[in-house]
Amino acid sequence: MGKLYDLLMKDYRLKEGLNACINCGTCTAICPAAEFYRYDPRRIVDIVQSKDDEEIEKLLRSDTIWYCGECMSCVTRCPRKNAAGLIIMSLRNLSIELGYFIDSEKGRQQYLLTKDLCSNILDYGYCVYPRRFDYAGHPEAGRVWEWEEKHLDDVFERLGGNLDGSGPGAMRRIPQEDLDQLKAIFDITGATSRMEAVRKAGERKAEEWGMTKEEFEAKIYTDSSPKHLNH
Amino acid sequence: MIYEGKQKIWSEYQKEIPDDHYFYVRSCIRQSFFPASEATFLDITRNALGKDIFETEHHTTCGGIAYHSDTIPQETVMTIIARQFALMAKHGYENYVCSCITSFGLYCETMETWREYPELEAKIRENLWRSCKLEFAKPKFLVHASDLIYKYRNLIAAQAVRKLVNVHTGEPLKVVEHIGCHYSKMFPSKGVGGAEYPYVLVGMIEAWGGEIVDYPERRHCCGFGFRQYFIKGNRGYSLSNTHKKFESMEPFKPDLIITNCPGCPYFLDRWQYVIAESTGKTYGQDGHGIPALTYEEVAGLVMGYDPWDLGLQTHQVGVEPLLDKMGVEYDPAKKYLGMNGKDLGAPAPCSCLK
Amino acid sequence: MKNNILIIGGGPAGLEASAQLQRMGYNVILIERSAKLGGHLAQWDRLFPDRVPADEVLGGLLRATEGVKCFTDTDIRAINRLDKSYNVRLTNGITVLSDAVLVASGFDLFNAVRKEEYGYGIYNQVMTNADLEAYFKTGEDKRIENPRKIGFVHCVGSRDEKSGCRSCSKVCCATAVKQAIEMKQAFPQAEVFCFYMDLRLFGRHYEDLYLEAQKEYGVRFIRGRVAEVSENYDGTLLVKAEDTVASKPLKITLDLLVLMAGMRPSASVKELGEHLGMMVEEDGYFAVRSGIAAGQRSPQPGIFLAGAATGPKTLPETLADARAAAMEIDRYLTEIFPDAKNYKQLVKERW
Repeated sequence: MGKLYDLLMKDYRLKEGLNACINCGTCTAICPAAEFYRYDPRRIVDIVQSKDDEEIEKLLRSDTIWYCGECMSCVTRCPRKNAAGLIIMSLRNLSIELGYFIDSEKGRQQYLLTKDLCSNILDYGYCVYPRRFDYAGHPEAGRVWEWEEKHLDDVFERLGGNLDGSGPGAMRRIPQEDLDQLKAIFDITGATSRMEAVRKAGERKAEEWGMTKEEFEAKIYTDSSPKHLNH
Repeated sequence: MIYEGKQKIWSEYQKEIPDDHYFYVRSCIRQSFFPASEATFLDITRNALGKDIFETEHHTTCGGIAYHSDTIPQETVMTIIARQFALMAKHGYENYVCSCITSFGLYCETMETWREYPELEAKIRENLWRSCKLEFAKPKFLVHASDLIYKYRNLIAAQAVRKLVNVHTGEPLKVVEHIGCHYSKMFPSKGVGGAEYPYVLVGMIEAWGGEIVDYPERRHCCGFGFRQYFIKGNRGYSLSNTHKKFESMEPFKPDLIITNCPGCPYFLDRWQYVIAESTGKTYGQDGHGIPALTYEEVAGLVMGYDPWDLGLQTHQVGVEPLLDKMGVEYDPAKKYLGMNGKDLGAPAPCSCLK
Repeated sequence: MKNNILIIGGGPAGLEASAQLQRMGYNVILIERSAKLGGHLAQWDRLFPDRVPADEVLGGLLRATEGVKCFTDTDIRAINRLDKSYNVRLTNGITVLSDAVLVASGFDLFNAVRKEEYGYGIYNQVMTNADLEAYFKTGEDKRIENPRKIGFVHCVGSRDEKSGCRSCSKVCCATAVKQAIEMKQAFPQAEVFCFYMDLRLFGRHYEDLYLEAQKEYGVRFIRGRVAEVSENYDGTLLVKAEDTVASKPLKITLDLLVLMAGMRPSASVKELGEHLGMMVEEDGYFAVRSGIAAGQRSPQPGIFLAGAATGPKTLPETLADARAAAMEIDRYLTEIFPDAKNYKQLVKERW
């Protein structure tokens, strides 16, 4: 019993995050995701502590584990010092490692997240890079961002930034030697191989659906089934 | 509300914040959306207060956003963090100050995990050596940049040219604070004032003459949620959480929101715009929103910085009603100008939000 | 010759043991660190499950202790073990040579301020079980003004490792149900909610009390631990919990919230433990010789324990424990203590 559970237990986040759940619901009561999605972190912790592989596999292939926003509000309150947020992170990690993430609508989004965030880090040394934060994809960023996007260099100059400049400062160009070190860290800590695996899983799915990469990306960026919602 | 009750709790969560000599690391989101805030932080600490805050161009992201979007393994983010620590040690610093709350939480989490599992720390040491030929030393003190401004709040008050007071009525401005979730929810003792009633921003507001108002959803997340914002299909999560907070604070009629996390002021600002444009609902007076500012912006206002030098023009919610209340002089014509008066045009007007 | 017995603590356990031992012919000296005898019982209005007045019970206990030497406002200054007896110096200047010592130091109520997310001492409309009993006794509390919606929170400072309180306090579930009924009697129009994890209504008639609360008073029981309390603009409280039966987060607005502060080891345990050389377990309560076979004997010969000094107990359990301790003391003083020559051997065999 518990092969998946054993894999999970190798994750330090699970070692830290899972004690014994008393099923009191404190985590769910204040969870931002539980109010919005059909989501109950208490039940997830309960399933993991049951060590029931069949149930854990269902979780790993489900949308459920992708609802959490990792705000970690649950950590403050649990009377048994569990951390539902950390447990979620290790479930997500295993779902990605086993390739199960591609089976659910929310899990599939990892394809885009990995592509965008990891390339921001490797190309620029930042998780977020303003030239890649476009108004078209982010209309909620407002008219003011639409304007900033058009005048990015001028706005940064006006506000004391150093966009793509040399030396220190906000959004400076990080020297290539440092980006090379980030790449080396990615290579030896498994981030590069993970990026590859996630990319391939996404491409296989696109092929299975008979879609081009662009169509696939557009679909997973916007797909949102009403079945996820609580109301 | 019984103020003395909060004071008792505040007195129990006092963290040690060294006075000077910090290695400074930036925040991906703050420098992207609030570059003037980081510039103001450095100007106040270095030039107004004479502190030694060192920055090297070689530091990078901590990887926190990618990590909390579950795109990189824990070992990756820890090794990136170890590299930052190596840069700190190389430059002879022991005190580490970061601009980002996600980073701050992650640094705390990393050091705690290493303390509990020394074999993991050893592994990360090896990773860093193999990948970068670097060795790291852990910071003696780890603080968030808002901890430092909190520490200097009275020095700032001493140099202030104005208070957080409505100059027309003489009443203190009503301020709500919003603390980034990763500041102290995971490790209450690492935050000034703890997790339930954090004092880090309250202390600033009190020192600068404002009045803090508490509201029921104060502790609730702004709704960033990492993947819940980056993916368009998930953004309802993000919006609904911000919406919940505004509905909750509305009856208290706050003049201003102060934040210490770089993402929160963006979300609290932009989702007000979305709510206004899609439903017509606004939370400030007469069709205005409630300005959601960074603590650096608030510090800059009381110290007499020009609001357009602080970057207040890059908020979607107009700040003019706040500036008028505070008696801040500003030139509306200069709001959207670039360097040396360069004409950059202006953002298109909103259909509802003033 | 009458043996001297020192009893530390003038709550129900100390009073009951005093009465029993005096009846057996011993010379009892009772010390109480506060100004008044009766312990927490003196603060309570009525008792579960039958809602008998606490004053009646306490009155009976006090009457039975007539003739016992009582010193209030008195603590131990120093204690020395002689061959078999204890030389005890009290803070009132008196020295007692005592052949047996009974520790009945009781419990403290959990300081509800420490459960920060519930806002006791911060939000005006949050009170504790003890505050509510005081209201029942005096009819006065500015928090209570015709409340329409009232909540009771079980397990405040119990079963909560985050607050350093792992154990169940045993009495809170029944107290909450009792107080819920009393509030319904006082305010028939009010809606009353109990937030619980497990309802531990184990004693005789306790389940009847629960049934009465549900059937006759319409008290609503919600299985979920309260996670957060905050204050609305109008001063009412916003309370968040999960209805774990429905698997749904729940938000409710209440006029009054009553926190069932649990039992914690008495603050005097540490000092007493040092004076008496007694072991304290991880949970903060005194260790006993054997939890099953010798629950009233401490590991130190001649030192006995009764009541909540060895963990949370209901009032009937405490009184029974005190009587048992009296029997144990009598057995010790008649079977082991008098045989000076074989004392050490007897202690080894029979303690």
